[in-house]
Amino acid sequence: MKKLTIHKDSISKLKMKSSRLPFKLAIKFSAFLLLFAQVSCMVKSDFKGIILASKGKIESLDPAQANKLLALQLISSLGDTLYRINLQGSLVPMLAKDKPIISKDGLSISIPLKENILFHDGTKFDAAAMAFSINRFIQIGTLTYITKSIKSIETPEEFLIRINLSEPSTSIKGLLTSINLTPISPTSYSLYKDKFLINNFIGTGPYKLINYSAERQSIEPFQNYWGEKVKNSGITFVSFTNSTSLFSAIKTGQVDVLLSNAIEDVHSFALKNLSKENTLIEGEGPPMEIGYIAFRTNSDLLKNKKIRKALLFSLDRDLISNQVSYGLRVPLRSLIPPFLAIRKNSPWPKYNVETASRIFKEAGFCNNKKLTLPLTFRSNVPSDKLLALKWQQQIKQDLSECLEISLNGVESTTIYKQLSEGAFEAVILDWTGDYPDPYAYLAPLLDCIKINDEVCEDGEAVTGGTFWANNTLQKSLMKSELLREEERLEELRKVERLAAEGAALLPIWHLKPRVWTRNNLSKPKFDGSGRLLLKEMIKYNE
Amino acid sequence: MNRSRSLLKYSISRLLLAPVMLWLISTLVFLLLRVAPGDPVDAILGIRADSAAREALRVKLGLDAPLLTQYFKYLNCLIHGDLGESLNNQEPVRQLISNTLPASIELGVIAIIIAITIGLAVGFTGIARPEGKTDLIGRLFGIGTYALPPFWAAMLIQIFFAVILGWLPVGGRFPPNLMEPEGSGFLILDSIKTGNLQALLGSIRHIILPASTLGILLSGIFSRSLRLNLSKILTTNYIQAAKSRGIKDSQVILKHAFPNALLPVLTIAGLTIASLIGGALLIEITFSWPGIALGLQEAISQRDYPVVQGIIVIISSLVVIISLLVDIAIAFIDPRINFN
Repeated sequence: MKKLTIHKDSISKLKMKSSRLPFKLAIKFSAFLLLFAQVSCMVKSDFKGIILASKGKIESLDPAQANKLLALQLISSLGDTLYRINLQGSLVPMLAKDKPIISKDGLSISIPLKENILFHDGTKFDAAAMAFSINRFIQIGTLTYITKSIKSIETPEEFLIRINLSEPSTSIKGLLTSINLTPISPTSYSLYKDKFLINNFIGTGPYKLINYSAERQSIEPFQNYWGEKVKNSGITFVSFTNSTSLFSAIKTGQVDVLLSNAIEDVHSFALKNLSKENTLIEGEGPPMEIGYIAFRTNSDLLKNKKIRKALLFSLDRDLISNQVSYGLRVPLRSLIPPFLAIRKNSPWPKYNVETASRIFKEAGFCNNKKLTLPLTFRSNVPSDKLLALKWQQQIKQDLSECLEISLNGVESTTIYKQLSEGAFEAVILDWTGDYPDPYAYLAPLLDCIKINDEVCEDGEAVTGGTFWANNTLQKSLMKSELLREEERLEELRKVERLAAEGAALLPIWHLKPRVWTRNNLSKPKFDGSGRLLLKEMIKYNE
Repeated sequence: MNRSRSLLKYSISRLLLAPVMLWLISTLVFLLLRVAPGDPVDAILGIRADSAAREALRVKLGLDAPLLTQYFKYLNCLIHGDLGESLNNQEPVRQLISNTLPASIELGVIAIIIAITIGLAVGFTGIARPEGKTDLIGRLFGIGTYALPPFWAAMLIQIFFAVILGWLPVGGRFPPNLMEPEGSGFLILDSIKTGNLQALLGSIRHIILPASTLGILLSGIFSRSLRLNLSKILTTNYIQAAKSRGIKDSQVILKHAFPNALLPVLTIAGLTIASLIGGALLIEITFSWPGIALGLQEAISQRDYPVVQGIIVIISSLVVIISLLVDIAIAFIDPRINFN
């Protein structure tokens, strides 16, 4: 009994001291948090620039290496290209003095350059600097396919550059506007002729870099910029790792601008509503991204064109767009975004359940025989997953007697690796053209080097997972590179019509790049390549 | 053999085993990465480049060499302390790790301090009134924090404190409107060292939510462990004997019961710190904290072999070192442990 008493005594004393400890701690912690938040908020910095948030890091600022949209956006502020494309799709000279002069045989392009332009390190921009940048890209660039048509570079005059091509190419304007070929200072890059410089950039752009880390970059106006002056006092890019944080950061004012195509549709929709209520300002660019489904046409299941045709009729784009993206992803029955407007009528068929059912019956399905389509989606892309689920659900309601969709989520890196190995019967993908031109959408999805009876054995169609090719289409695609203006567009229309007949690809929607800013900023604008015009942005309380 | 000699022998044997363990881990990681589907070339180029460009990049990155050649080259570099270069941007892996590791250590250390403080407070309260209301709440807290999905808890805390109340930032490690202080990469320490008050307050503001979330989630294991141990120890004979000799209750608890109850807590703390360095991924993602776990996750998704291998080797080394230090600390504290 005594033992028990001692134990109880000691415990009761302990009890007195600590029974309310957690509550006291919780109250003290909350009070500290509130006090600290208020005190630390009082300490203001003298920073007056714009804070721009987006998803993902910028791991390299080397134009020979950068291929992510965010890195290209930043490089486009630090450097200038020879030309840029305006919202009407025309070439506008930047570092070039005038339009390119193309030789009669189409094998040589001469570009006069502007004079009195300085790099951020104070050295002069000239033809030699431009040639240095292009040659460096050809030598070490990771995306050298961009320059595969370049045979040699000449600098006949101090401010004249000549690009010799191995074959004529109408789509060369993509090359001339490519951010990967942004000129860099030969002096500053003298030690980086054959290797990447990932944490600095010395170009001719309106801004110069003041600090860099993968998660955060700051730029300030370049005082000796040759063109129109920057309208703000600098920009800091910060990265967030998820869509919820980005949404919260712009909503609470932690950042001034949110620029991201990777933000989830539910957040885009909420931000759109906030902009309708005048809480934020929304800006939209030309829709450069298209979403589509690629069918493997050499598989036992889908080699029958009738089945593929039936699938084209079975997708209710309007319903799915509304359910997946609240209408933010606009239904598309073409491989080319409508702002490039090469035709009035879409070549791909509209959703029609009766026609789909009839074709399935012709193909031997529906009468107690169901086609099971394995549909693969990128598990790390939320909109792909939702699209797959919604289409599966729609088919259950509309065509349950003929078709069943089985879903398979795979991480995107694995999908890209296995596409050309023919691992997927049907897979949801997206595509953003390198430049705003129909060719930049058709060629990467349809081009084929080696065709054997409508099966592509080598080329983009293999890389893209369709394995579909057509000799007539291929000839038209190549011919389009030799034609100009309306003749060229007519040839490209033919290409797209043939692609729709082949039914290897099912376009679903297109997506505009969007940006949201706080109310104390001017309305954000994009250029014709879908890049945000940062130097135009004004912060009014600066 | 006396105790200190046997402890020294044990420590040396553990240290000698460490390279073997690291070799096994690095070999396993090397092989698993190559077996996993996906390709760094595809991760770098996407599906845009043609086969010639892919092949050129493969050769450039040394991925065309036979697997054995790649393996021996990797081992040779590792032995010489060279972790290689990122396939993605050719930045030395050592540099990538030194950029992200301080963020993870900073977060881990503060989180563990919070976890121990809350855990011990809740544990003490529970034992003060066993089976009472407070004890029940404490036990529920212990189970709850242990069972809560970290991302869900983190999102709730983020929404409440950052979005609704607006007290603290949503994410990130440092205010975007300030320049990060130069130095070791430990921003709080660097801010103190440079005497930069703005930077110090900014760093603390940014670390409060992720560290508190992590700390609260981890505190459950400490509270449960302390409560269980303390309740057992308070009924043991040596405590009763101390009491019967007239030693004050507070001294009995603090000097006799508490240190013994802390032994398992110390073990848990050591293992938790080690796992925290590489394992706070969900917290780092939710709060956009640029730590090593986030770096590892990104490197895996990009199939950046050298970065994944480098990070795992470093984390494994830290786990080995911390485990050894904890074992030594426990041996010093607890004379009952026999290393023979």
